[in-house]
Amino acid sequence: MINEIKNACLKAFESGEVGYIIGWQATRFADKTTPLFMRSAEDVEKLVWNKYCVNSTAKYALEDKYPEKKIGIILRGCDSRAVARMISDKQLKRENLYLIGVVCDGKEDPICATCSHKTPVIYDVLIGQPTTEEISPERFAEVEKIAAMTPDERYNYWAVQYDKCIRCYACRNVCPACNCVECYADQYRTGWQGKAHNRAENQVYGLTRAYHVGDRCIECGQCERVCPMNLPIMSQTRKMLKDINDLFGPTECGLTIEEAPVLGEYDLNDREEFM
Amino acid sequence: MLLPKEKLSEALGALAAEANVIAPVKWEGDVFFMPYKGGDVCLEGNGKLPPKDVLFPKTEKMYSYSIAKGTMTEHNDAAATILFGVRSCDAASIERLDKVFLEQGYKDGFYSAKREGLAVIAMGCDKPMATCFCTSMGIDPMKAEVADVQMCPVEGGFTVEAVTEKGKEIVKKWDSLLDKKSKAKPAKVECSLNINVPEDFEKKLMDMFESPIWDDVTKACLGCACCTYVCPTCYCFDINQDVHGDEGTAFRCWDSCMFSDYTRMAGGHNPRPSKKERLRNRYLHKLAYYKDRHGKYLCVGCGRCIANCPAHLDITAFAEKAMEVE
Amino acid sequence: MCDHNHNDPNHVCTCSDNPLVPQVCKVIKITAETPDVKTFRIQTLDGKKPFAPMPGQLAMISLLGVGEAMFSITAQGEDWIESSIKRTGMLTDALHEMTEGQTIAVRGPYGNHFPVDDCKGKDILFIGGGIGLAPVRSFIRYAIEHREDYGHLDVLYGSRSSADLVFKDDLFENWPKVEDLDVHLTIDRPEEGWNGSVAFVPAFLEQKAFDPAGKKVVLCGPPIMIKFCLQSLLKMGFSKENVITTLEMRMKCGIGKCGRCNIGSKYVCLDGPVFTMSELDELPDEK
Repeated sequence: MINEIKNACLKAFESGEVGYIIGWQATRFADKTTPLFMRSAEDVEKLVWNKYCVNSTAKYALEDKYPEKKIGIILRGCDSRAVARMISDKQLKRENLYLIGVVCDGKEDPICATCSHKTPVIYDVLIGQPTTEEISPERFAEVEKIAAMTPDERYNYWAVQYDKCIRCYACRNVCPACNCVECYADQYRTGWQGKAHNRAENQVYGLTRAYHVGDRCIECGQCERVCPMNLPIMSQTRKMLKDINDLFGPTECGLTIEEAPVLGEYDLNDREEFM
Repeated sequence: MLLPKEKLSEALGALAAEANVIAPVKWEGDVFFMPYKGGDVCLEGNGKLPPKDVLFPKTEKMYSYSIAKGTMTEHNDAAATILFGVRSCDAASIERLDKVFLEQGYKDGFYSAKREGLAVIAMGCDKPMATCFCTSMGIDPMKAEVADVQMCPVEGGFTVEAVTEKGKEIVKKWDSLLDKKSKAKPAKVECSLNINVPEDFEKKLMDMFESPIWDDVTKACLGCACCTYVCPTCYCFDINQDVHGDEGTAFRCWDSCMFSDYTRMAGGHNPRPSKKERLRNRYLHKLAYYKDRHGKYLCVGCGRCIANCPAHLDITAFAEKAMEVE
Repeated sequence: MCDHNHNDPNHVCTCSDNPLVPQVCKVIKITAETPDVKTFRIQTLDGKKPFAPMPGQLAMISLLGVGEAMFSITAQGEDWIESSIKRTGMLTDALHEMTEGQTIAVRGPYGNHFPVDDCKGKDILFIGGGIGLAPVRSFIRYAIEHREDYGHLDVLYGSRSSADLVFKDDLFENWPKVEDLDVHLTIDRPEEGWNGSVAFVPAFLEQKAFDPAGKKVVLCGPPIMIKFCLQSLLKMGFSKENVITTLEMRMKCGIGKCGRCNIGSKYVCLDGPVFTMSELDELPDEK
């Protein structure tokens, strides 16, 4: 498969339409890869494809909103949903991207166990045989586990999590749905987010983040992967997704490039018992 | 002298009866430096976070004021603290922080109060992690820089050596627990991750400020503050106020040079506008600027930034790349 | 006990033991200099001078309940210090809403100072643009107070309009009366009733064609003005060692600890804010 991906990259460079391609490269550690930015055919040999390719390649495109040539991105299923998310959110333009989709074989990341889209949902070229996809029965297992707690247990559970949180904002920076030009949490002078490191301020951040991305979460699990303190961050957005599923029917985000956020759209058939 | 392994809890218990003891313990699946409340300590690995918050808390009150009364009350209460189980990397970081907070013309009152009350029981490190490279930074895993007591793991227990007067006071309390005839000596330890830092590396780096290498080595960075918050030597802070009507409290809290707001001025100008300038500043602070000022690297090779970076950036890989630049 | 690194033997410090804790003071006089610059005269609650800064040094000024920021100290008297502050953000907005008699907290003085000794026996050309005259004024006042120590003094100052000229009393009344001191003023755009020069500061400076012999230059203003003034000065034959300026960076602690105001291995709050142009050449370009 790696050769097919490399060939796709070489072809993309040959076409002259692609400025650079984002993939993965080895590090000095056998169990870690790091994002690779290939600028020409010579760089392609550095590309790797193995179970340690856990970094998302998609969000780097946000740093280059007006590229001279197309940005090439090697996409797993989750990365393709990230691209779809950012196009739907009007942060990226489809015509600026050259998408090399690869059917994912699952990576060394617990979140991959509940993946429902190993085959990229958008691509210009697809490598690998599309798999039959189904939503994992474990999708909301963590949410249900937390929901089963008593209110006090649940409060204490999150209190401990946010005692651990160091507010490094890695979960935000890696999230494809966190694509505000300037995050509310960086606007310290407005006072939205207090700067002190304590449980209360950490929880303000955690809640705000969850609500802000909950109806657009593509369930890539990057937030949990990057969290140095191992907070179960995606269970928050999955809680919102579960509620959305229960209220509005089956919902998965980031499957098309023209998708309004569930809570950002009004439909005459929506439930309105709160009115 | 040897403290038998099975006597360790008792030894720590004896200290905890009289002082605030901070030790590495297992919590929530990771090792953290936390108040010792009896039971087992965990000496595996470096710990998720360094013990720097003992001296430099994540958030600390500085003073309270009342606008109407025109009063200003300083908060600075430091209790005597014994920090146990510190590996040489983290111990070296205390020495690096001392230079910042206690020297340079101004003594930081909040830090110095805590530092004066601190005793360090260092623990030699016989199992460096895959990401550890302290030996490349000139640090001896079995001999810590600011230790009051140096312990080292050996067969059946730990060697114990009182290094300072403070250390002698501590070891005195262990008198009945120690095997004084033991001749056990710790083995020599090398990290598996080694980089060959050349002499005057900081001078080379200082001349590389405009090098195209920075675009390359910062491209994968996510711009989060993970590396700075898990780092034992990162000491950037912010000062803010908590206001309730007429009264308020000023506090300082950890801040990160990786944040956009960090250097942004009131008029909007930001001398370090993107992750490239910010990460460059961080790498140069660790490997050049601090050494230019204080004669040592501000990196102690604990490897936490490597182990925790979401994008798997590696400061040793950066250093090696920089060495290759003509 | 104060262990600040103020090199001046006459330095008197009333700071708290802890350099990060400010002293509560009061604003005893507020002068509106221009539509967006006000000068605040500050005194301790018991009527004393908060501390005795050297020219060019900084003070961390906080409005309790709002925030804290670093400002240059533009003047000092027997029992007060003064800062001139331009409205640019949240804190400065709040400062501009203050009334005389209100409390304010200050700590300092911080940073190095203008090389008052190196300049002894020399002529000095002070160049300011806009609010940039604020730090320069501290040295002008010092030079006037120690008039016998210095040669000929020139103050060359420009602003957008006549209304934007700060320290009008000094510019039009006090300084012209000083022996062997010339004030040269310019504004950016012509306006009715203004008979003086209309030119940007660098162009005005070139017209004046100063002789570099035995002359030091103190230059403060917006970065773009500094850049072009420096070019003009170099053309006139001034060397970079003899051109002195001040830098501005975001600061939180003021004592070289919090990290953010570094340029290379120098901290602007500790090693600056005063640098010669040749010293700045040694620093990375990250200002």
